[in-house]
Amino acid sequence: MSEAEAPVAELVAVRKEYTAGAVTALAGVSLQVGRSTFLSLEGPSGCGKTSLLNLLGLLDVPSSGSVRWNGRDAGRLPERERARLRLAGVGFIFQRFHLLPTLTAAQNVELPLRAIRRPAAQRERRVAELLDRVGLTARAQAYPHQLSGGEEQRVAVARALANGPGLLLADEPTGELDRASADTVLDLLVSAHRDSGAALVVVTHNPEVAARAQRHLVMRDGRILSDSAAE
Amino acid sequence: MSWRQAGRELRHLRFQTALALCAIAVAVALPVVLLSVGGGVVAHELDALQHSGFQIVVGASGLHGISSTHTLSSRIGALANVRASSPLLSLPLTVFLPGGGEAPVLAEGVIPGPFLATASPQESGLFPQPLPLGDPTDSVHFANGTYRGPATNSILLSSPLATARGIGTGDRIGLSASGNRSQTTEFNVTGTFGLPPSLLGPTGAFVAILPLSDLQLRSGTALSGSGALIDGSDSIEVALSGSAASDSGAVASVASAIQGLVPYYDVATQDQQVAALLDAESVLTGFYLALSSFSLAIGFVFLGVLLVRRVEALRAPIALRRAVGVPARSLAGEFARTAVALGAGGAALGVVAGIVVVRVLAAYGSPAVSAVAQLAVFDPVQLLGIAAAVVAVAMLLSLAATRAALRLSIPEALR
Repeated sequence: MSEAEAPVAELVAVRKEYTAGAVTALAGVSLQVGRSTFLSLEGPSGCGKTSLLNLLGLLDVPSSGSVRWNGRDAGRLPERERARLRLAGVGFIFQRFHLLPTLTAAQNVELPLRAIRRPAAQRERRVAELLDRVGLTARAQAYPHQLSGGEEQRVAVARALANGPGLLLADEPTGELDRASADTVLDLLVSAHRDSGAALVVVTHNPEVAARAQRHLVMRDGRILSDSAAE
Repeated sequence: MSWRQAGRELRHLRFQTALALCAIAVAVALPVVLLSVGGGVVAHELDALQHSGFQIVVGASGLHGISSTHTLSSRIGALANVRASSPLLSLPLTVFLPGGGEAPVLAEGVIPGPFLATASPQESGLFPQPLPLGDPTDSVHFANGTYRGPATNSILLSSPLATARGIGTGDRIGLSASGNRSQTTEFNVTGTFGLPPSLLGPTGAFVAILPLSDLQLRSGTALSGSGALIDGSDSIEVALSGSAASDSGAVASVASAIQGLVPYYDVATQDQQVAALLDAESVLTGFYLALSSFSLAIGFVFLGVLLVRRVEALRAPIALRRAVGVPARSLAGEFARTAVALGAGGAALGVVAGIVVVRVLAAYGSPAVSAVAQLAVFDPVQLLGIAAAVVAVAMLLSLAATRAALRLSIPEALR
């Protein structure tokens, strides 16, 4: 399989254990995330959704099994290499937004662009474009504490899209938002996925999110209970 | 992250930042005070040395120090380029006052003429001129080593002693080396003199000056028990004439000639004394820095702990940066900038605090402390050196914070 045909990310018989094996978060999970896939991930608390997301995004290393990126085993690369892959290839959106409190909305969006050493003029253009896309041009100079929850999450979406990643990972992105804000954020994510062709994996309890996904996974006790695409 | 953002990060955790700045400031203030005051005292002494009225000192160890002083002084005075050769003998004596009291004094035996000729302009202004001690050469009483000439029995008292004990010109006082009133010799007080400002406060305030031969007789350094000549003194100060006084080659040449006269005595030029003083200063500076290293070490430990604590306090933002893929070197740079900002800020505060402490001591300290504090010299190079050292160590300490940041579990920190 060529790199172009390979899944953007793949877990092969992955186990993830914590506290020296006392807690098993993932018990031999295998999963392929294809290019341009919108995949929703559902399941009760503690079933391993976030652990799976962290492994897909190279934030964590598996206890066993392998994590493949574009056909390449990336799960056990040194942290420096994984950081480089994350910077260029993954956009994260967290339930709690995780904006840097001392940076403005524009600076938060600019963070990945700075890290990848884009020239200042390019950064400025890209930040303006992304803030316009999420409807926050007027709030560019606002600090996170001056933004509403919905606005914060929109900034987080803009930040996740900054480097044009091939994989967007969202961990309950609407979990702390009101209905209207949740709809806006979801629309943004879906349109970003559609427009950029990036794969989108969303952990959610929201049935509306799941309903819009092309593929729906349900997890329990560290295993994938059902995979709608596989059915 | 820019420097402006580093400043914002520091303001974000104001209390921690303020504590770190205070710790470093206190740590830096101590060396600033020690080095500025110590340096000031040495600079003052150097200045006094360089502006003294003599360029060469002859000294000797032993029971009576220099012997045959009158003869030797005359021979030195006869050397080319020598303007004056002034022997000094210092001894503690007891003064018995007209009213019946007594006081310990430091008695200085001098030959009146050369004594004033070897005094600095500042010193000579404190004495009546010519010195009202009778024979300016002290040769009449000395009488070629017989001490049988007529003594003037004149004495000058320092104004603090005269004022404290109500003694005036024309009074008669008794002088004894043994402290026994029955063994006193009477002297006429022929004048008083002022004292130059002393770093040691009133310690040297009770001073009497009298002809060398008189003091030698009182102290047993004139003749031995068998009648052999001692003619002792502690040192001989030698002043050169004209341009030779400021020509180190000429000074060395005269010193060499004196050494030829007295190969068994110490002959030190002013340059050698300056060098010795500078050596002493470097030793003192080392001692001050060693002392200061304790306070600096405490400040650095505090800063290190605080930088690591900042990692704990900023777990989520740090983990977010790492999750996004910000390289480790960028994180290291951020911590280095934070540490440099704290180090430089604390060092600047410490320098200011040190200067303020010295100024306060100079204004409100006890007389002795105030006098010393007023001499403080704030050397910009030295202060910058301290600040640079603090910043350098702060940068090293930032590595500990970077290490802690890179060891954070991203998933746990973002949970």
